Amino acid sequence: MMIDPQERAVGMPRIEVVFARQRRQYDPGDRLAVRYAVEGCEGESTRAVEHSVVWYTEGKGEEDLGVHFFERITDRASLPDAVRGGSFETALPGSPLSYEGVIVKVRWCVRVRLFFASGRDFVSEHVFLVGRIPPARLPPRGG
Amino acid sequence: MRLPRLYAKKRGHRRTVSREWGVLGDGIFHGILLAAGLFFGGILVSGVVAPEWRINHDFVRTTCSIRAKGLARIMRRDSPGGTVAHWEPRLLVRYLTDGVDRESWARITAHDTSVERDRALGRLARWELGAEVPGWFDPADPEDVVLERGYSGWLWLLGLLLPGALVLIGGTGLLRRLRSWGKSEERLAASAGLSELLDPLAHPAPAAPGHPGVPMWDDLVNSPGTILRYRLPVESPEYWTVFGFGFFALLWNLVVVVLAVGPGLDLLGGRFEWWVVALLVPFLAVGVGGIVLFVRSLLLATAIGTTQVEISAHPLLPGGRYDVLLAQGGTRVLRSLEVLLELEEHATFRQGTDTRSEQVTVYRQQVLACGDVRPAPTSRFETRTVVEIPVDAMHSFTAAHNAVRWRLVVRGTPDRSPAFSRAFPLVVLPASAAPSSDESPTRPPAVQPERNGAGTGRESR
Repeated sequence: MMIDPQERAVGMPRIEVVFARQRRQYDPGDRLAVRYAVEGCEGESTRAVEHSVVWYTEGKGEEDLGVHFFERITDRASLPDAVRGGSFETALPGSPLSYEGVIVKVRWCVRVRLFFASGRDFVSEHVFLVGRIPPARLPPRGG
Repeated sequence: MRLPRLYAKKRGHRRTVSREWGVLGDGIFHGILLAAGLFFGGILVSGVVAPEWRINHDFVRTTCSIRAKGLARIMRRDSPGGTVAHWEPRLLVRYLTDGVDRESWARITAHDTSVERDRALGRLARWELGAEVPGWFDPADPEDVVLERGYSGWLWLLGLLLPGALVLIGGTGLLRRLRSWGKSEERLAASAGLSELLDPLAHPAPAAPGHPGVPMWDDLVNSPGTILRYRLPVESPEYWTVFGFGFFALLWNLVVVVLAVGPGLDLLGGRFEWWVVALLVPFLAVGVGGIVLFVRSLLLATAIGTTQVEISAHPLLPGGRYDVLLAQGGTRVLRSLEVLLELEEHATFRQGTDTRSEQVTVYRQQVLACGDVRPAPTSRFETRTVVEIPVDAMHSFTAAHNAVRWRLVVRGTPDRSPAFSRAFPLVVLPASAAPSSDESPTRPPAVQPERNGAGTGRESR
């Protein structure tokens, strides 16, 4: 069944995240600063906004997740501003570094998650790199 | 109100069932376990534990004079529609309660029934008619008297162990689900502690302090080397093979012994049933085969001699060069002996109800190769080399289901035995942070699923 893109977009917020570094390339210990702007959730009551900087694994194994930075905004004074947009920053840790392995991959990302009063939530994820590890390749057979 | 979707898209191409339905199903399952535990626990507490506790705490002491002996027949339901008679020894006793002279058929203990009538009768033998014995009566029902107090240990154990386990599994599972309801995975992961307590198996070994995701290396530096600074511990698959064969042989042959006891006794009594022996022969053959395999693998593992690897420093750093000493014991001539530096990725995943793991070696470099190694009878073969960790190497990484492991692998080919392989784990730390620069040439992000600023959005409820 074909889904009309316009129809799919209804009720789906759009979160734009801008990294202080356009290339999204960071070294361990660097300061990560991001700004975000939310569009398309006018008229929906929001009960919380979460900002996080996490690493997770991808690949053959079950997903592992590590949270480096986490912030939840629920108070009525800050929430209206946070729902429209905001910024946050954190110093990155020394590890783990981003890694593009064969069956194990480690990725870093910034997540902005909106919790609506209706019970649903929406998360926007923005990948960046920590470290400069080249992608892994299988060694030649018999090597 | 929107109902949860039956399926939801996970990251990547995998489509899974909805998280909400999963949480709901898991919650119902654990709720049923908890309810079952409470139900059976309640039955056992009200039927066994509480009456015994009352006898030991509330019943009032008196002196009873034994007047007669008898058995009470109690009919209990057994199979559907059927009943079975239980016999309880009783003693007719005379005693005083608050100045009132009473007579009642007393129980000996709180729970003293038997399906065997003779056994119940035997319990009465030691009580003498006319004897004066201590007894305890229920102040709420003075006709209810027991002559011995105490606790039925096994009944208490049964009463607490089985329902207790159900309550524990169901309760912690339900608590875990309730705790995660409506919370993001980031929030749950950020507030570890209780989740580790509720689900200890889901968490990896602790990471090295100051190095998130890097395994601890305490176990790799607690053994000093004879020439270089540290002797690395060995992770040899051969030893696990020997252990596996040994365990199988032991277990299988124990079963064979248990099965052989009856026919053996029959044989000693002069009876020989050939079909029983015929049934035992295949079991016996497998048992003997297990022992042969165990002895063979043990001989192969021990005949090679020990392999030791020492290193000049630990943990290692990308770009670092480290002295390595290889020492091979034993007297076997080895056609080849080599040392490899390897990087292995390890992933654990679920397939149905099975947990499986997969390893892939993504980096392999030969750091030493020797041919025609002939250890002297009185001393071990020793050689030194230098190992260099690539400057852009991935550091050692460990998480609950994924790992990236560095190791030195020693491979040898004996003259007249199968090749062997022994691994020595290493920990490589991340390189210290280089001066950051957006200007320096870098590769683009490996995964760039969205244009700059517009991330991947997922609606998850």
